[in-house]
Amino acid sequence: MADKLDSQTISLGPIGPALLKIGVIVGIIGLAAAFMGSYTTELKSERFYLSYLVNFAFYLSLSIGALFFILTQHIGRAGWSVVVRRVAEAFAANVALMFVLFGVIFIGMGEIYSWTDPDRLAHDTILQGKEPYLNTPFFLVRILIYFGVWILLTQYFLKGSVGQDSSKDPKKTEKMQMVSAPGIPITALTVTFASFDLLMSRDPHWFSTIFGVYYFAGSFLAFFSLMAIFFCVIQSKGLLKDAITVEHYHDIGKYMFGFTVFWAYIAFSQFMLIWYGNIPEETVWYIRRFEGGWETASYFLLVGHFIIPFIVLINRFVKRIPALLATIAFWILLVHWFDLYWIVMPESLKGHVGISWIDIACFIGMGGLYLAGFAFFMGDKALIPQGDPRLEESLHFKNA
Amino acid sequence: MPDHSSRNKKMKLHGLLAEFKDVDSILKASRAIRDKGFKKWDTHTPFPIHGMDPAMGLKKSLIPKIVLGGGLIGGVGGLALQWWTNAVDYPWIVSGKPLFSVPANIPIVFETTVLLAAFGAVFGMFILNNLPSLYNPLFSSKNFVQGATDDKFFVYIEAQDPKFAPDRVRELLESLNPESIEEIEEEEDEWVPKLSPQMAWTLGSIVFCLVLIPPIYIARAQAKDRNSPRVQLIPDMDQQPRVNAQSASPIFIDGRGMRNYVQGTVARGGAQTDTGYYVGAVGETWVDNPLKVDMALLERGKERFDIYCALCHGFDGLGKGPIATRAANLREPNWVPPLSMTDSTVLEREDGHLFNTITNGIRNMPAYGDQISVEDRWAIVAYVRALQKSQHATLKDLPSEERERLLKEGQQ
Repeated sequence: MADKLDSQTISLGPIGPALLKIGVIVGIIGLAAAFMGSYTTELKSERFYLSYLVNFAFYLSLSIGALFFILTQHIGRAGWSVVVRRVAEAFAANVALMFVLFGVIFIGMGEIYSWTDPDRLAHDTILQGKEPYLNTPFFLVRILIYFGVWILLTQYFLKGSVGQDSSKDPKKTEKMQMVSAPGIPITALTVTFASFDLLMSRDPHWFSTIFGVYYFAGSFLAFFSLMAIFFCVIQSKGLLKDAITVEHYHDIGKYMFGFTVFWAYIAFSQFMLIWYGNIPEETVWYIRRFEGGWETASYFLLVGHFIIPFIVLINRFVKRIPALLATIAFWILLVHWFDLYWIVMPESLKGHVGISWIDIACFIGMGGLYLAGFAFFMGDKALIPQGDPRLEESLHFKNA
Repeated sequence: MPDHSSRNKKMKLHGLLAEFKDVDSILKASRAIRDKGFKKWDTHTPFPIHGMDPAMGLKKSLIPKIVLGGGLIGGVGGLALQWWTNAVDYPWIVSGKPLFSVPANIPIVFETTVLLAAFGAVFGMFILNNLPSLYNPLFSSKNFVQGATDDKFFVYIEAQDPKFAPDRVRELLESLNPESIEEIEEEEDEWVPKLSPQMAWTLGSIVFCLVLIPPIYIARAQAKDRNSPRVQLIPDMDQQPRVNAQSASPIFIDGRGMRNYVQGTVARGGAQTDTGYYVGAVGETWVDNPLKVDMALLERGKERFDIYCALCHGFDGLGKGPIATRAANLREPNWVPPLSMTDSTVLEREDGHLFNTITNGIRNMPAYGDQISVEDRWAIVAYVRALQKSQHATLKDLPSEERERLLKEGQQ
């Protein structure tokens, strides 16, 4: 069947360059509008930087989820997922773009992270205690390490897989399996600390050891949602018609269902231990999210991020109708974005939730750049790994 | 396997068993049998075969719905259990949380949901598969017993199938190119013990041996020499790292296990300077009840009296409670009968003296100071006074209207 795959429909073709061009234009316009618009608000440029951090964490989470997906599929020697892995590889490679986009956070660090303020440091004994870790130079070194590790891993898997397209060398698959074994703990540690640094340090007094798992849970879930939407869209454009079947959607849907529950499990674990222990230094973070309008947002997350996707995705038929799966996937992406907004914002927006058009402009703008980055890394490459020894298995895969 | 023919029982056909060579041929055969519309038939293969469900025309399993039902019952039941036990039936505050506190209940709800969903999956599977079933007429086929879990593929059509006709089924099976066809028989119209004798003997012996373990263990423990250390099932509980009464502690320099208060400190609730209230006397003088005597206090006193005192002194306070009565009936030699509350000694004692008696006990009566709070002890004192009044009231103790009513009734 692999021979029957029409070469016309297994690469982006003319869509790629168009996506690249449009994405960059949308990106520049969106981000510029958000930046200028922020000066009409009370917080001035801080409003833009915070919105930027929310969206940065959102798009980074998609690439992180993709990287975890590649690693887990290799280490599990998965057969079903071969046809969807190339797209994941290109999305994962987008961490390189996210590294470039980190530049704006570097510029806005002083307004995003209160621990960078020397006045606050001088009067704050807790921050003085944390200073050996939470200081600007070490922060930047860590960011370099995180992105360095991620770029190396994602490029390795993308190059390895693309190289296999022509070489058809099954040894390469074994090598990638070998790399994925240490790759998983390395990625887990870097993602954990990256989430501490980028998101948790917004409130430098507060700490939660499960925070990294929370970010990972949302990332993995969001990545599968992105996949569901992506394949639904490109199949409607006539691409990969034969390769991706309802069985693959079904498996993506199962992952979405599983990680909806996993996210709720982790979110509740973090909440319940802090709520039960009732120690002021820990509860302060949740109290901020249960007053001034944010309590509605918190309950919305419970319903929107867990209960609704749970009830919808528990049904088998939903997972087997691509359009339906893509719809709930779109919803999950929106609530995942809101989850990150809920993590970043309450420290600065007290008394109101206040999503504004700046956030939306920023979301669309960075989204344009992200898709352009995907088109850049995808290029003319085949949308499925043609040289993978398990390709046949994947093409014929059926859920029992 | 028992040899049925040697027992001289009437046998009847139970079904036809056909053996197939490989996966492809059994899938093909299954489709053919499915298309003929048979209902009571099954395939037996050494491993699960992809595509067998549609080839046999099986509907989607009921298991997911049973699991969902089990999960829902478990979740709702777990929540209801916690609500009823902790918030309604026996209200109990834990860690300062509300009586019905959903976040604290969620882990239990999660566990009960998973538990009952798993029960639904396991027991639902058992029921849908007609398990446990220890015997099946198929076991009489040597070929089946040796091959079905090893390397052979079988189709079995039961005689109970409405479409079953021995000749036509045999014809159908033969047209599917089987390796062999075998007739399976069972004893006719007779209750067949589902348990084969060997199995029954083996299971019985195992259960018997297991049942013997506890009595043997107890007998051994009883027969053992008393000087040897006893068997410790849970050594952590038998040998706790604690200070025993009257023994030295190696932790502190002065060797005392019980620590003194830190100098200049008072334990919480220990600053009892108002001796009239806490002891019942100021210096040598007994005090009167320091609490305001009203209906609420008397109600409380009655409740406490009925709980703590009435067993000996009786609900009416006349000293004829169930314990006192029984002790009198048994003529217990060392029993000192409890006094009636209306006895002159009790009548004449001051409130503080009664309070002191409750606190520290007297003669046979134990001290209740540790069990009944100070306030409740005063409430009991007040109630005892009321009991005394009930036996020794004079006209002038009554409110004026009541007095007039009684006088009027007396004149009539």
